[in-house]
Amino acid sequence: MNESNSPEQRLHALDAVRGFALLLGVAFHAALSFMPGWPPGIWAMNDNSPSQFLSDAAFVTHIFRMSLFFFIAGYFGRLLYQRLGARAFWANRGKRILVPLVAGWIVLFPAIAFIWTVGITKVFGGTTPPMPEMPKVPGAFPLTHLWFLYQLLLTYVAVLAIRGIVARLDPMQKLRGLVDKAVAASIRTMTAAFTLGLPVAAALMSLPMWFYWQGIPTPDQSLIPQVPASVGFGTAFAFGWLVHRSKDALAAIVQRGFAHLVIAIVATGWMLHTMHASPMAQPGLTKTVYAMVFGVAVWGWVLGLTGAALRFLSNYSATRRYIADASYWIYLAHLPVVAAFQVWVGHWPLHWGVKYPFILVASFAVLFLGYHYLVRPTFVGQLLNGRKYPRKNPPPTAPTSPSNVTDLGNAGAVARLSGVTKHYGKSTALAGIDIEVRAGELLALLGPNGAGKTTAIGLWLGLIEADAGDVMLFGGSPQDVARRRRLGVMMQDVELVKELRVRELIALAASYYPDPMAIEEALAKTGTTSIANRPYGKLSGGQKRQVQFAVAICGRPRLLFLDEPTVGLDIQARETLWANIRALLADGCSVVLTTHYLEEAEALATRVAVLAKGRVIASGSVDDMRSLVSRRQISCESTLAPETVRAWYGVVDASRDRNRLLITATDAESVVRRLLATDPDLRRLDVREAGLAEAFTALTREAA
Amino acid sequence: MNTLNADTLPTSRLLGAYWTETRYEFMRMLRNLAFGGPILLVPLGAYLLVAVAISADAITKDPSLAYILFSGFSTMAVTMPALFSVGCILALEREAGLMKLKRAQPAPTGTWLVAKTLVAVAFGVLAYLPLLVCGVVFGGVDMDAGALAAMSAVLIAGAIPFAAIGLFIGSLVSGSAAPGYANLFYLPCIYLSGLFIPLPEFMHAQTVIWPAFHLNQLALGAGGVDKYHFLPPQLYAAVLIGITVIFGGLAIWRLARKG
Repeated sequence: MNESNSPEQRLHALDAVRGFALLLGVAFHAALSFMPGWPPGIWAMNDNSPSQFLSDAAFVTHIFRMSLFFFIAGYFGRLLYQRLGARAFWANRGKRILVPLVAGWIVLFPAIAFIWTVGITKVFGGTTPPMPEMPKVPGAFPLTHLWFLYQLLLTYVAVLAIRGIVARLDPMQKLRGLVDKAVAASIRTMTAAFTLGLPVAAALMSLPMWFYWQGIPTPDQSLIPQVPASVGFGTAFAFGWLVHRSKDALAAIVQRGFAHLVIAIVATGWMLHTMHASPMAQPGLTKTVYAMVFGVAVWGWVLGLTGAALRFLSNYSATRRYIADASYWIYLAHLPVVAAFQVWVGHWPLHWGVKYPFILVASFAVLFLGYHYLVRPTFVGQLLNGRKYPRKNPPPTAPTSPSNVTDLGNAGAVARLSGVTKHYGKSTALAGIDIEVRAGELLALLGPNGAGKTTAIGLWLGLIEADAGDVMLFGGSPQDVARRRRLGVMMQDVELVKELRVRELIALAASYYPDPMAIEEALAKTGTTSIANRPYGKLSGGQKRQVQFAVAICGRPRLLFLDEPTVGLDIQARETLWANIRALLADGCSVVLTTHYLEEAEALATRVAVLAKGRVIASGSVDDMRSLVSRRQISCESTLAPETVRAWYGVVDASRDRNRLLITATDAESVVRRLLATDPDLRRLDVREAGLAEAFTALTREAA
Repeated sequence: MNTLNADTLPTSRLLGAYWTETRYEFMRMLRNLAFGGPILLVPLGAYLLVAVAISADAITKDPSLAYILFSGFSTMAVTMPALFSVGCILALEREAGLMKLKRAQPAPTGTWLVAKTLVAVAFGVLAYLPLLVCGVVFGGVDMDAGALAAMSAVLIAGAIPFAAIGLFIGSLVSGSAAPGYANLFYLPCIYLSGLFIPLPEFMHAQTVIWPAFHLNQLALGAGGVDKYHFLPPQLYAAVLIGITVIFGGLAIWRLARKG
């Protein structure tokens, strides 16, 4: 029993249902060239081997597939709305629905028109009949099979408008509480299929010309909403939305899934029988009963199939996830592909039992290959599914729990790279590294050029994506703008807008944050008040860095990325910047600092991570780093030659700086004893622990 | 527990971010006179020379010529700032790493895109208005106010597809190469779309590949100049929308990946 499934598990099942509904559409359209009795020109091809079986099978799938899709869309619609809020919801829907609708139509319509022309010419024996014209009615437009995206957008608008009205009328949620209970109760008592079927039936009964086979007429010829589709699919969407509201509804769907399937099968059997007797609805009792049975069948299938999926498909499966991800693209792109195969095989002297499977297999092969190579790893995949997968990526991991989406992390790690790998072509920038930034600390990322520091920061800033592993920023993805509102960034090699004044640059950056500093405060803190009204392009290199620092901190960040912040600064400006960093740390801000000035890291860092060749070769406090290198620096005035000393046991290196001999030693005590014994004139002896610089040099040399 | 709500921008601040970005984008363009000056003045100067000084007699014989010259040079006026300001400035910004910084900063979705597009349209208006005045006063443009307003609206909105092409060029090439590439596209586009020069008949078919042709035709149609109106206006509009979607989409995709 899956009633105790987590919300995440339920999403896997519903994702699978959505994918199923979309892929069923491909099978449905693939069957349409085999319809017996269809006049030439209705579809791209009339196959020479028609099939009553395929006609019936297509009818059965057509009863429920789009209603099922809209039901799941309603469920996910509310989930998304709850998760993102209104603004981000519309931005998301714009990207995922509106852009595919517009761009898809621009690309697909010419392809579909071309295939149709070729197919119909073939059907008519080489002569092209005049193409049917669009009906001369307002709003007429050939939406093609992309009508469902248009309908979905209209439905979002309608449902959110209703939601807004209900929220005003029912501020205490009393009414909505009752509706939530009624939704679950109607499913559990098996009345949902009958009550939800009523509006569908009413809309169908109102149609003056209704072929039973067509079910809810497809609104693919007009931009004006059509009543049967708006009622039928709108009901499905709204009920999906309400099911997401109701905490008990999914459990009830699971519980009554089998019973709903039985109702659906019985109703569908009766409809098939009736339709064979008379395919066209005649006004009267039969039409009324048929419409009502159709409504019941729609909801029997929708609730039955959803229940079955929740019962059997709730666990995560990489294959199912892949297919579910692919289904959106496949449905968008399938029509010209399927029609092309239908046209190709239409006159082959073979039985439909051979040709139909061939069309399906060939179409899916083309579409899945297209998905795998042209969509999944590219911006199209990003657009359609919200993320893209690098080609060399391991199979996708189970998605994180929805609860993580709103969790901005606790007082532990504010940012983390876990097992992150990143390649640029054949070179490996990061090789499975783990680094975390803790709240209130300054983490200095050190390493030679090409060690992977900039890549690590780029991942945290959402500028690049990891090939493998997880990148976490405040508990979630760095791609999320809301999370980045806690960031401040000072990048290396960035020139701000040279025509704008310093004050304007700060004001511009501050406008991105919910609670920024006043401009004067940011200017004062960073010592840039005196240059506030000067254009950025007229500043010196050091002044520009100061302004960039002001831009980075003006949003009161909780995590500040500083990439080589003190390059080009004079001593006074550097002291000011260090003081600012310390003040930010004292205020609980975390800082990630990359620098080649090791004394800077030594002065500021809480922790140090040394990177080399894409790996973390050492990590810990500055003292930890020093202790990793058991070397000490010996300095003295001596006449001894460095070459002589370099040959002694325990000496790593020796050099001369004017009259002073500088020795790096692993066994400082024995070297000092030998120095004193060998040079009686030795003066001003100084022995000190190795600094971070020596530790860094030693560590990176060992890693090389 | 911290939540995302703490980090969402209130609506007033959100609108403020769009406004601030647009305002400073406009100011920087105004301050960059070496760049903005020519693209504002060249179409006006060319119009005065060709339509007012040279073609006065021809317009007397065929008054409809005034409309086609006005529409052609107006198309040039609104599209030049859009293409060049957006394309070249964006390429320079990319070169300076500014787009990378903007991606890292929490700017609300598309602020820079909205700002650049609005500023491109605004500069188109700045370039178009003096031409409109000169056209009405000196150029024989004698339309009723409604037709002139419709034509103006189409022309001004017509800056948007060119801003999208500018975005695409700016997202693709370096700052130093952008003016060259923009010219490489723009000069043939302007001349081969037959805006000012009657093209020989064998060249008529190729005009449909240039967006300036579609904008010019749509503007003439909006102004009621049917003599030069070859195809249904919906088709011109669809092509311009398609160009905006495709080039804008490609640019946004590329900038989101590379900065």
